[in-house]
Amino acid sequence: MVSKTFTIQNKYGIHARPARLIVETAVQFKSEIHLAKNNEEIDAKSIMGILMLEASKGSELLIKCDGEDEKEALQHMTEVFEKISELTEWEEV
Amino acid sequence: MGQQTDILLKGIAASPGIAIGKVLIIGSETLEVEKKTLKTSDIDAEIEKFDSALAQSISDLEKMFDKTRASYGENAAQIFNVHKYILQDPMVVDKAKKKIRAEKVNADWAFSEIMNNYISKLKGMQDERFHTRTTDIQDLKRRVTRYIQGGSQQHLTKLTQPSIVFATELTPSDTIRLEKANVLGFAMDFGARTSHATILARSIGVPAVVGLNRAGQLIKEGDNMILDGDQGLCIINPSTKSLSRYKKRYDEYISLERQLHSIKNLPARTKDGKDIELASNMEFPEEVDHICELHGDGIGLFRTEYLYLAGSTNPTEEQQYQDYKHILEKLAGKPLIIRTFDLGGDKPPASLSLSREDNPFLGVRGVRLYRNSGEDLFRTQIRAILRASALGDIRIMFPMIACVSELRECKAALYKIQKELDKEGVPYNKSIPVGIMIEVPSAAAIADLMAQECDFLSIGTNDLIQYTIAVDRGNKNLAYLYQSYNPAVLRFVQQIIYQGHQQGTWVGMCGEMASDPLMTMVLIGMGLDEFSVSPVSHLLIKEIIRHVEYHECESMAKKALDFSTAADVEKYLTDIYQKKFKRLLHL
Repeated sequence: MVSKTFTIQNKYGIHARPARLIVETAVQFKSEIHLAKNNEEIDAKSIMGILMLEASKGSELLIKCDGEDEKEALQHMTEVFEKISELTEWEEV
Repeated sequence: MGQQTDILLKGIAASPGIAIGKVLIIGSETLEVEKKTLKTSDIDAEIEKFDSALAQSISDLEKMFDKTRASYGENAAQIFNVHKYILQDPMVVDKAKKKIRAEKVNADWAFSEIMNNYISKLKGMQDERFHTRTTDIQDLKRRVTRYIQGGSQQHLTKLTQPSIVFATELTPSDTIRLEKANVLGFAMDFGARTSHATILARSIGVPAVVGLNRAGQLIKEGDNMILDGDQGLCIINPSTKSLSRYKKRYDEYISLERQLHSIKNLPARTKDGKDIELASNMEFPEEVDHICELHGDGIGLFRTEYLYLAGSTNPTEEQQYQDYKHILEKLAGKPLIIRTFDLGGDKPPASLSLSREDNPFLGVRGVRLYRNSGEDLFRTQIRAILRASALGDIRIMFPMIACVSELRECKAALYKIQKELDKEGVPYNKSIPVGIMIEVPSAAAIADLMAQECDFLSIGTNDLIQYTIAVDRGNKNLAYLYQSYNPAVLRFVQQIIYQGHQQGTWVGMCGEMASDPLMTMVLIGMGLDEFSVSPVSHLLIKEIIRHVEYHECESMAKKALDFSTAADVEKYLTDIYQKKFKRLLHL
């Protein structure tokens, strides 16, 4: 299992559109991918789970990948979270 | 009508503009869900009913995605993909099925209960920004439940006359069914700047005020309303005083609008018959319908950075191709100038992991990025553009070119990609026009040498001003120095046009200066071939072009170049503008 912590930086947090991006990335991998916030942990392939996590600005998420392609999965998941941090630019328009 | 007292409500200004009109209330559809206990033998059939309701709903959502994409663009449409994923999520589907089996209850009840549970969780979240998402869950709950109950999707009240649409909350599927030509504006109790209705309002250019909280208790169907999308105000049953104040503001706005509207189909031609190419700048594909309605000369600058800022995973070739194709179809033969990615500077995309720079505006941005780590990004975009070039008049424009060798490098890379496509047998326009932005002083100084090696030049005044005067345009302490009318800038503009023409190359302008009505005559006089302006300024600039003669513009351009300070130039331009256009434009 590999993992990494990420702090949500965009103003609106993980909303519907960012959640879509996360799911679209996660489902590409065979590994189990979980996101944990405080004591709650959800499946990153579930959009409802992500929405229910209330990942607002400033919250710390632990991204956990477990499986044969876990390293690659973690890298892509980190990238998608970084991309989401850019979202403010667009949502402010 | 008796004396009215204003009921003034403050909300969030979500989309600018003013609307005055009657209110049409879009009510939430009532949904009756009764709990029924099933016989064990009926459970399988109930699950089947649920599955087929989900399938019908997903097929609806896919259609709505396409429809929204076609009329409002990709970004607005994505919400329907979110909806689809929710209906494929085990946390919804499996949970509902388990509930049906375990509790032996009807599918609509089980599903509603689960969705209600999510709604109350969302409502209980500390970050209020998440509360708006309940609208999406409601929307899905209604859709699926209606299918389970064997009904069809209810149609909304028809918008038969122009109205201000009010709703407690407007779901994505509600909004897509509204006849957009009859929407004067949106007012909502619920919602935020990120609500779906807000995004649509902005894309069709109508005012919207959201987050009004309890307006629903005060508004009746048919009430008069003033919607002030600039200040986020909503006035119900306005007093005569408010009404006349807003009517005046609205009338001024409308009379100019109408006057300008009346010239929509007329050419941008001076009184003495010189045709000026008048194109539009575009930032998002959603704007293309609005731009087509202006009957201009196509798109003179399509900024493609939205593809990165939208935050999706790296935009694929296919995704870009589809966007370009969609725009070309709408433009029906008119030109589309695509500026390749101008990323970097102060907003580097996270996906490129650029190192931090002390001077981002003098750093890796525009074409400089393409050799620095953005090779793939360049290649993918050029492939998409070339493929689309088989379908219409597409032209390529490179940003931030500082010297001829950069232009050569870009052209060589372009050529290499063309060879690739040849090998693959992919069709494209082999003589696709290639131009550059002139926005760096070193390029401006050798416009003739640049013009010899490309098909067109387009002056990007925003950066040209900041680099010429060495002033960061975001620096408030230096705002006085960011001068559009600076004599050095004007000389550059004049030289670029002159030298371009010497080489037989046409010269356009896509910076803010092209949208500045004070500068229109001067630029015509300098011989500028193409103005690419923001869609809001399009008709105003056309109206000015239609009221001037080329020879008077020429002498005005000469005179403007004589002044020593920006302030003198501005005074000269303002005086003439006031004298000449004040009455014309009722300013």
